[in-house]
Amino acid sequence: MKNLDKLLGELASQKLQAQTRRHFLVDCVSKLGGLAMAPLLFGCDLGKNGQVKSGLNLSERDLNPLASIPPPFLAKAKSIIYLHMAGAPSQLELFDYKPELAKLNDQDCPESLLEGRKFAFIRGVPKMLGPQANFKQHGESGAWVSDYLPHFSQMVDEVAFLKAMHTDQFNHGPAQLFMQTGSPRLGRPSLGSWVTYGLGTENQNLPGFVVLTSGGKTPDAGKSVWGSGFLPSVYQGVQCRSKGDPVLYLEDPKGMTRDLKKNVISAINQANQEDFENFGDPEILARINQFEMAYRMQIEVPEVMNINDEPAYIHELYGTKPGEESFANNCLLARKLVEKGVRVVQLYDWGWDTHGTDRDGSIDLGLRNKCREIDRPITALLMDLKQRGLLEETLVVWGGEFGRTPMQENREGKVQGFKGRDHHVDAFTMWVAGGGVKKGASYGITDDFGFSGIDERTSVHDLHATILHLMGFDHEKFTYEFQGRPFRLTDVEGELIRKILA
Amino acid sequence: MNRQRLALLFTFFIGVLLLFFFWNQEDEVDFSSQVKPILNTHCISCHGGVKKNGDFSLLFEEEAFAPTKSGHPAIIPGDPNGSELIRRLTESDPELRMPYQGEPLSEDEIDILKKWIKQGAKWGKHWAYEPVKEPEISRKPKTAGLNSGEENYSSSIDFFIQEKLKSVGLTPSPEENSSRLIRRLAMDLTGLPPSDSLVRDFSSGKISYEQAVDQLLSADAYGEKWATWWLDLARYADTKGYERDVSRTFWPYRDYVIRSFNADKPFDQFTIEQLAGDLLPNPTQEQLTATAFHRNTMNNDEGGTEDEEFRVAAVLDRINTTYEVWQSTTMACVQCHSHPYDPIRHEEYYQSMAFFNNTRDEDTHDEEPKLRFYEEEDEKKISSIVYWVEKHEGKQAAQHRADFLKFLEPKYAAHLATNFQKAELIDTKWLGLQSGGSATYLKINTLGSDQLLLNYRSGLDGTQMKIRKDGPDGEIMAQFVLGKTQGDFVLSIPFKPIQESVDLYFEAKNPKASPQQNTSAIVWFAFVPTLKGQEYLGFATIKKNWEELLQWKGTKLPILIENPSYMRRTSYVFERGNWMIHGEEAPPQTPKELGNWQESWPKNRLGFAYWLTSPENPLTARTLVNRIWDQLFGRGLVSSLENMGTQADPPSHPELLDYLAWKTMNDYGWSMKSLIREIVNSSTYRQSSEISPEAYKLDPSNQWYSRGPRFRLSAEQVRDQALAVSGLLSSKMYGKPVMPPQPEGIWQTVYNGEFWVESEGEDRYRRGIYTFLKRTSPYPSFVSFDAGSREVCLGKRLVTNTPLQALVTLNDPVFLEAAKKLAEKEMKKSGNNPEKTIEGIYHSLLFQAISNSKKQAMLDLFNSAKSEFEANPEQREDFFPDASSDLAAMAVVANAMMNLDEFLTKP
Repeated sequence: MKNLDKLLGELASQKLQAQTRRHFLVDCVSKLGGLAMAPLLFGCDLGKNGQVKSGLNLSERDLNPLASIPPPFLAKAKSIIYLHMAGAPSQLELFDYKPELAKLNDQDCPESLLEGRKFAFIRGVPKMLGPQANFKQHGESGAWVSDYLPHFSQMVDEVAFLKAMHTDQFNHGPAQLFMQTGSPRLGRPSLGSWVTYGLGTENQNLPGFVVLTSGGKTPDAGKSVWGSGFLPSVYQGVQCRSKGDPVLYLEDPKGMTRDLKKNVISAINQANQEDFENFGDPEILARINQFEMAYRMQIEVPEVMNINDEPAYIHELYGTKPGEESFANNCLLARKLVEKGVRVVQLYDWGWDTHGTDRDGSIDLGLRNKCREIDRPITALLMDLKQRGLLEETLVVWGGEFGRTPMQENREGKVQGFKGRDHHVDAFTMWVAGGGVKKGASYGITDDFGFSGIDERTSVHDLHATILHLMGFDHEKFTYEFQGRPFRLTDVEGELIRKILA
Repeated sequence: MNRQRLALLFTFFIGVLLLFFFWNQEDEVDFSSQVKPILNTHCISCHGGVKKNGDFSLLFEEEAFAPTKSGHPAIIPGDPNGSELIRRLTESDPELRMPYQGEPLSEDEIDILKKWIKQGAKWGKHWAYEPVKEPEISRKPKTAGLNSGEENYSSSIDFFIQEKLKSVGLTPSPEENSSRLIRRLAMDLTGLPPSDSLVRDFSSGKISYEQAVDQLLSADAYGEKWATWWLDLARYADTKGYERDVSRTFWPYRDYVIRSFNADKPFDQFTIEQLAGDLLPNPTQEQLTATAFHRNTMNNDEGGTEDEEFRVAAVLDRINTTYEVWQSTTMACVQCHSHPYDPIRHEEYYQSMAFFNNTRDEDTHDEEPKLRFYEEEDEKKISSIVYWVEKHEGKQAAQHRADFLKFLEPKYAAHLATNFQKAELIDTKWLGLQSGGSATYLKINTLGSDQLLLNYRSGLDGTQMKIRKDGPDGEIMAQFVLGKTQGDFVLSIPFKPIQESVDLYFEAKNPKASPQQNTSAIVWFAFVPTLKGQEYLGFATIKKNWEELLQWKGTKLPILIENPSYMRRTSYVFERGNWMIHGEEAPPQTPKELGNWQESWPKNRLGFAYWLTSPENPLTARTLVNRIWDQLFGRGLVSSLENMGTQADPPSHPELLDYLAWKTMNDYGWSMKSLIREIVNSSTYRQSSEISPEAYKLDPSNQWYSRGPRFRLSAEQVRDQALAVSGLLSSKMYGKPVMPPQPEGIWQTVYNGEFWVESEGEDRYRRGIYTFLKRTSPYPSFVSFDAGSREVCLGKRLVTNTPLQALVTLNDPVFLEAAKKLAEKEMKKSGNNPEKTIEGIYHSLLFQAISNSKKQAMLDLFNSAKSEFEANPEQREDFFPDASSDLAAMAVVANAMMNLDEFLTKP
């Protein structure tokens, strides 16, 4: 991180600028980008205009379901960046250091660990597998991090570890759904949808909930992990892509210039305005608003998705290469997006399922490579956010959908060609950082094998309750009426994890 | 005391007496509408369903009057002041006052409860659980006017609507102008804009409105439009869902739905076929196809998943879907505990499950059982085989043989193996035996067959297989060699007949197999006896045909087939909803509260379907009416479509709902077309959708219907309409789903390897209902316009309004192509006159004349586009190759006009 000083200097000068811009965005989104269309635009006056025109009493939300609204409680965090390692990384090679497990390496797994349990692929009695990494304590907090994450280990004093996470789903699809929607079955809104529904978004020229994927695949559970379930679909995640249109159909058709598109939208909205005056249907006003937003989005999305113009040291810091679909690029984009007022940015990186069935899926070689892909980017993301003053108001979450077994996988009773671990629900590690999170904290203790949490266990619902709290919601009161009853992200469970709150 | 004062006192007493009399007379408290809502709002979250604090619950009648923790009942009928319920509501100590730590009840509310107890605390049924009764109004002659001759309502619907309007101080709107009305009607009935001839005939008065309705109801497009609605409920898709989400063939079911709507199949029959078509006597191919309704459940191919877990998940989804679709009842809650609000008990969920828990499907990779759609040639062969078997073995054997050829049941899936030695379930799906490996199948009924059919595939020749009775030392029942195959192969193997059910021990040997290599992958096995009559002429042909048909690979559709008696599963209550923890046994039974069971009905899915469609079932007809009303008006008479339980929004027009429900069942014989016809013929439906500020203030969401329905078109309609007005739309119906162009890189599913292969020719322009629907990645523009992913039952699409939708209709190549076509067509018609062309385009889109101001706006756009294109010919070439500047500019205008709110909206 030799460029850090340079970065700090550069950032200090930009910070003020950035803040001013952000403030401006919050105040009045439409004056940006749409300036040239001013005569036709309702812009900030839309709500009032609705009233003046028709005597209709419309709220801003009637015209724009993504209008920003304050949370029920004061909260430091304004946005979330959630980094989901799809496939589930091994806690035993990264954060949960188990010297005792090393001693048991290659011995038969004790019966007590297997009794009454089911695993996805392990059959019969597997061998124990010691940690395949070297661990050291880091920072003032003395957190254990392995040599798989040399850069990230410098950031441990910024984050709070949850080391005794547990879930109840041991297949990827259902476990990812559970982690992202609070239910292993389909049909519930994702965390990002809940937050966007509850808070709207601050920049109306960008989607409120952006999803970025890397690793060449979407997560196992498909788009439902960022779906809106029974909430209106306007709150679902919008996948922004690194290739082709960043948002589908964003680019104007060939030969359609911006000026011409502006005229097109002016003509449409002029006619719609006339219809509103004749019909009085406020939906028409909302449509006028949406067409203007679409026009502005066409300018601002490519701008924010373009990382070419970032300075060289930023590229070096993140390890980004413009034009690639990579986790590093997505981390940089995540910073740019929250800086511009996007509420939720969800990253999925695919390829963490390390069963040991092949080299890429091995716990010693494949996992090390995957870690190399994320180590610099996550470190850079935390640093970059921090130096811009954004970390205080951005909640960063990192984790998979479950953990890995302390036993070596023996798929269908066979010896594997590589070292691997099966899916494991009883113990895994996640970390959170930023807005409202206690720095350098560690919560949760697992047993000597890293098999089960023995103290301060954290369920998926607990994690959700805590995330919602950090965003300004009481998870028990944040509900949506559906099928005759109030639904919430945390169903009927979830305890706030107070020990990791700042 | 003088007489005057006495008289005064007397009068006073009389007054008090009278007051008391009227108090009791007039204020009979109604449990359903007055008491239950108070209990549901304030009490039931702690005293009912999940929680029964103080052992007190208000969910069921017997619970409410039972002794509580204190040993006494909380409600003493006739004695409000002696009832703990009232005491605790009025308590001053905040620790004792109820609701605990909540806002106290209002005085009015407490008064209602007091009165209710005083009047005897009569428990009542929720309105929606009462059977539909014949309404008064349907007996009155329509022609005479319905309201003492004073006013003339054109229909019964209008009577109910207008009575209500009067009571809330609103008046109905006048009839919509004819061009908007015909467009509304066509969009609602066929999902497409009206044809030019229909518009002409209707606006010239050549045909009446009612005739237009009939014309549209009999169009093929009607079935396509209404099937889209049903397919949302049926969760129809072209992929299996879950992680790998690979394709499955399901379109024959979609075609069944379209055909059923077009044939106006009565809803009771439609219901019975879909839930239990396989249990009807001698089911037809169509009736078997219908049962695919409940095979639309997802199927999990993810490695490491237990098939039984996902079989159970599918069965639970079938229960939840059935109750949502036909009963507007949310059963998912009852999976884990008694319903928190509605009187449905935990065990009743599993009693319902018992009806659905006995089908052959087991979440296997091949999704068997599947119905086979043979070509005519093969059908002939089958007939000859069945005829042969009937002649030589009798009717029953012939029936078994015919069934086996239709859907290959009964058979045993490989995943039932246990006791693996040097063996595995490959990817948790198929049996793989290494050389020297073995596995056992328990309690197999061989039906006394002398032949085993084994479906397998292998890359190795010469695998020696033995099947023994019981174990490694048991008697050899079959001995055979497995060879190399091209894909799956069904091998016929002689088998030692045995009558009782046995454990079968499979073992394999192959010296050519390397260590840890599987000798083959076994998919399933079945017991079908050898054909008899080999001494007769023609046997060889019959046998050859039979063996060929065993290897048949054509169109197959997953269907429901009931388990034979020896495969029946017993259903249990799942403790707290956990499928692995069985509680008490649950026999097949329907919830008590929801209508009676007739003893003559069989205790299986067929009986269940009879129960649903019986006139005594209180919810089926109401639900159907409510959903169809919602399709037409954008909101249901009960606005919570998915729920008519006690927590549902009260119906806006309860009498109307019941009137239509009654009529649908009794007068219309469950004809959906008749129901739709009655609704769209009403003046209520035909009202103008203009909104006055006054009406908006009184009724912003139009729940009283003082104006016509006006809302954005559905995802499919938005696309179909654009293709239709430009003349691109193909009218081809049915068959395999199509893949119109979509942006690259949309499909990125893990472990899948399938691609979106763009369709050619007219298949690029088919109606949206034929677009391939991949659950984890549906067609992108449909997603933007609120279509679901069909993973679970979707009762209502919420209509949103987002900038991403604007991007679709502005920039999606499909919409651009349509705009260019339309511009070309209209320019030709007008002889290149821009003003006339704009008028023509507008008329093609909306069937009326464009206003001068809109025309001016579009002309301005045309001129600016034209001058831009003239100045930059390259830009013009980019935008519209080989077009003149006029045509290119007109395409820009058409693109703009196809984005007008009025075009995207049902008027």
